[in-house]
Amino acid sequence: MQIEQPIIQVSGLSRLYKEVRAVSDLNFVVQPGDLFGLVGPDGAGKTTTLRLLAGLLSISEGEASVAGMDLKSESEGVKSRIGYMAQEFSLYAELSVVENLRFFADIYDVPVGEMDQRMERLLGFANLLGFKDRRADKLSGGMQKKLALACCLIHEPKILLLDEPTTGVDPISRREFWNILNQLHLAGTTILVSTPYMDEADRCSKIGLMYQGEMIMHASPREIRQQIDGEIVILLTDNWKKAREIVSNFPGVQEVQTYGEALHIIVDDADKRIKQFERNLKKANITHQGLRSAPARMEEAFISLMHKMEERDVV
Amino acid sequence: MLRRIWALTTKEFIHMRNDWWLPAFMLFGGVLELMLVGWATSRPITNLPLMVLDMDQSATSRQVVTAFENTGTFMIEEYVSDFEQIESALQDGKITAAVIFPKGFEAELLANGGEPILPVLINGAESIPGREAQGSIEGVIRSLGEQVVIEQIGINPEQFAGFDLSLRVWYNQSLSEAYYSLPAELALMLEFTVLLFAALAFSREKELGTLEQLLVMPFSSLEIIIGKAIPVMIVGFVDFVLMLSMTVLFFKVPIRGSLALLLVLAIGYLLVELGKGMVISVIARTQHQAFLIVMLIGMADFMFTGYAAPVEAMPQLLQWFAKLVPAHHWLAIVRGIMLKGVGLEVLWPNLLALFILGTVIITFSLRYVRRALN
Amino acid sequence: MSFRHLLAVTRKEMNHIVRDPYTLVLVLLSPTILLLVFAYALTVDISHVPVAILDQDRTQTSQAFVQQIMAGDDLDLYGYVDSIDEIEDLLARSKVKAVVTIGPGFSDNLYALKGISLQINIDGTEPESGGYAVEHISLRATEFVDDLLADQIRAIGIDFESFDPIDLRVRAWFNPSLKPRNDLIPGLISMVLGIPAMLVALTIAHEREHGTLEQLLVTPIKRTELLVGKMIPYLLVGLVNVIFIPALARVLFKVPFNGNFVLFFILSAVFMAAILSMGIVLGVFMKTQSAALALSFLMIFFPGFFLTGIFFPIVSMPDIMRMESLFMPGTHYAIITRGVFLNGVGLEVLWPYTVFLAILAFSFTAIAAIFFKKRLA
Repeated sequence: MQIEQPIIQVSGLSRLYKEVRAVSDLNFVVQPGDLFGLVGPDGAGKTTTLRLLAGLLSISEGEASVAGMDLKSESEGVKSRIGYMAQEFSLYAELSVVENLRFFADIYDVPVGEMDQRMERLLGFANLLGFKDRRADKLSGGMQKKLALACCLIHEPKILLLDEPTTGVDPISRREFWNILNQLHLAGTTILVSTPYMDEADRCSKIGLMYQGEMIMHASPREIRQQIDGEIVILLTDNWKKAREIVSNFPGVQEVQTYGEALHIIVDDADKRIKQFERNLKKANITHQGLRSAPARMEEAFISLMHKMEERDVV
Repeated sequence: MLRRIWALTTKEFIHMRNDWWLPAFMLFGGVLELMLVGWATSRPITNLPLMVLDMDQSATSRQVVTAFENTGTFMIEEYVSDFEQIESALQDGKITAAVIFPKGFEAELLANGGEPILPVLINGAESIPGREAQGSIEGVIRSLGEQVVIEQIGINPEQFAGFDLSLRVWYNQSLSEAYYSLPAELALMLEFTVLLFAALAFSREKELGTLEQLLVMPFSSLEIIIGKAIPVMIVGFVDFVLMLSMTVLFFKVPIRGSLALLLVLAIGYLLVELGKGMVISVIARTQHQAFLIVMLIGMADFMFTGYAAPVEAMPQLLQWFAKLVPAHHWLAIVRGIMLKGVGLEVLWPNLLALFILGTVIITFSLRYVRRALN
Repeated sequence: MSFRHLLAVTRKEMNHIVRDPYTLVLVLLSPTILLLVFAYALTVDISHVPVAILDQDRTQTSQAFVQQIMAGDDLDLYGYVDSIDEIEDLLARSKVKAVVTIGPGFSDNLYALKGISLQINIDGTEPESGGYAVEHISLRATEFVDDLLADQIRAIGIDFESFDPIDLRVRAWFNPSLKPRNDLIPGLISMVLGIPAMLVALTIAHEREHGTLEQLLVTPIKRTELLVGKMIPYLLVGLVNVIFIPALARVLFKVPFNGNFVLFFILSAVFMAAILSMGIVLGVFMKTQSAALALSFLMIFFPGFFLTGIFFPIVSMPDIMRMESLFMPGTHYAIITRGVFLNGVGLEVLWPYTVFLAILAFSFTAIAAIFFKKRLA
């Protein structure tokens, strides 16, 4: 019974700051054991959504429940069942690693007998054993994030809400952090994590795409990639502006996306179109450093969805 | 350079708009304090509870009690019938004074050569109302005595003056307390608010780590200092003008000297205190610390201005120290211009002292802050 | 309320103070240092008032008179002047606080029993020193006349004593010479113990500014646990000062301490709870530390001077202010400190004030807890 019940349930959820809708009419569910990624650019409403679910903001409209508890009436009860990690570093800078952990252990009423053992395990897990007595503000950015994660795991919550845990962190630490998340995921913890990075989205079991305060889609990564009903052609060229003009008007081209000097072109049949492009570019005297087909990624799918939404808004 | 300073100053003002409590306090806190001081010092002490134990029950004793009441200083708390009640009321701090008319008070007073005793007890645990009560009672009894003397020996003691003192109070004929206290409070509030504001300006950014952001931008340390100083100066100057208008318009304290000179010197003085505030902000690591240091320095300065305590009565060492406190000279300037109506011909030693102190403080603070920034 | 949560918050808050020795010293000592500064100002008795003389009589008698009034430390003879213009100049330059003018015929009038006439010019911008000089000079002048002419006066049938037909015997209890220091120093303790309250007002804003509040708000900690936990370290800071202050007041400034110290300590703790919870209320409403600081100056520091009856008697205030002063913890504590220091009374007299302080502490904490939302916005 318990298992079938979604662990997070959101319907019609909105939050207004004065007149501005930071998030609007969110509807989604998270099943127990999901690693749910909230993906979207800055200002999409990810932080607001996570804060709403953590009980940090009051709900303007709609309903939300976490761990079977209604956030409107039982937000305090929710707090002992979740671990929440803020986007900014929000531990006590002048306390040491161990002191920070102990503080949260006390506040979350971790049984005294288990405390030392749990702290030791978490520190090992986060690779912080060698830094026990270092002041939190003297840790590197990546270590701070891991300490923050350790602090919100101290009471072994069933649900983790993580707000851009890897923003501003070097790539190695990022990978390390995600390995930790995967371990937690495998151990059965439900994780709701926000990220602006599409490559991270691919590591999630479920994804909610957010844009301008709305959730434009939530599904598995595979389903989202399938939103693109075509194939991807990547064109690398110095003269991408002109190249873009040329390829946009081809029959069979659904959409052209620009990534720096690379054009990602969504077409009906990659092999067939590549040859046509090749010819036409030569004719226009445009040299290129590469023209190949590639599998569709989350990013293209997301941008394509975004474009569709913008077009809808214009109409 | 001017454009960058302008950018910084604008940023500061935007910050003030978002976090307006402190600037508002700086602008109006001083005015409010002056109002409280002006109000409190202009109000007479009244309604002091007086207890009466009248064992004489005579016309004279009643006359004396009425005279006490008529001074306005007292309010009769209670007529009591035994001394223990007075004792316990004093013990409990319920009354300020108690007067005891012994039996036969009137009779002895009227008898020739008699000198009746009139015991008065004062609650010394509150010396300010206590002194007021004492003065008031002494006044009543003195005039009663004169009346008796005139009736008995036909001489008015005032006619025969052992000596006749004529008092001339310069610059403040009516001995108004507002004249005395408001220019001083004005001078000191300006010091305190500017010091606090300047000290918090840097320490806030230092504590929150936003100073680092400024430092990586293409600002020179001097530009940062000036950019931060301008808003403090503007707000400080407006504060001064507000307080000055309040003192003059509301409490009728005159400006007998040159207003223009006062305003110009105020700007100079603001610079000196700004320098001090900046040094504090560099020493302090957090706003917490900056506040406490300002508190200690501000209050210590307050002691050495001569307003809170007479400097000439202090040990020589402290008297020298007092000369090193800018507020000491600033107070002399404010009083000189406002009350004495003098100008630079008289105030130049204070101005010179302020100038030298200012140069030292500002040079030091520029160096110190720049080094801390770099 | 969970004791463990309380202790965790207290320990963390304590760390802010203790970790940095600089902060520790400042926080711990500033109330005492501030009180010492106030106390010193109150105990500097006026003396060495610079006075100039304009002697238009130029006789031996006037010389003797000047000597008599200048004897001792009270007045310092700045010098003689020759004209009214010089008087003005000296006063304008603040070189002297008073100028005594001895008119021509001073000694002739004196011996003719016409009395002496004397003009004293004082600087009205600093009337305290000038006033003191006047008082001192009149006293010495009376003595002078008395010493010189007592016999002659009595010879014409006037008895000085008969000018005072009532023997007024004023006795001040608890503070026989009505020295302001004896009651103002105990009274000012309530002021300086306001500093920890101003600091506690900063701590919530500190967490807001540093973003640590966000992490704290998602924990199951109760509002009262957080608020009370934050107050405890500052309560201890206050109590450390409560130990220092009476000792220093007694040793350095000769302020008597007639009551029971243990009682004083306990009542001070009640006061600290009240004033700290007032600080917490302010902290709850303010977003930044500088705003909290500004508000606590307005609500704690200034009213501490004007509304608590230390300097301005509460009975003389208009009704509205008397009401307000009731809600200032300092008002009740000033009565307690004076009662313990000077009157030497105990709980039998002080219990109503203690109860009121406890009620204030409770209500302020309740108000803070009600308005402190465990949300960000």
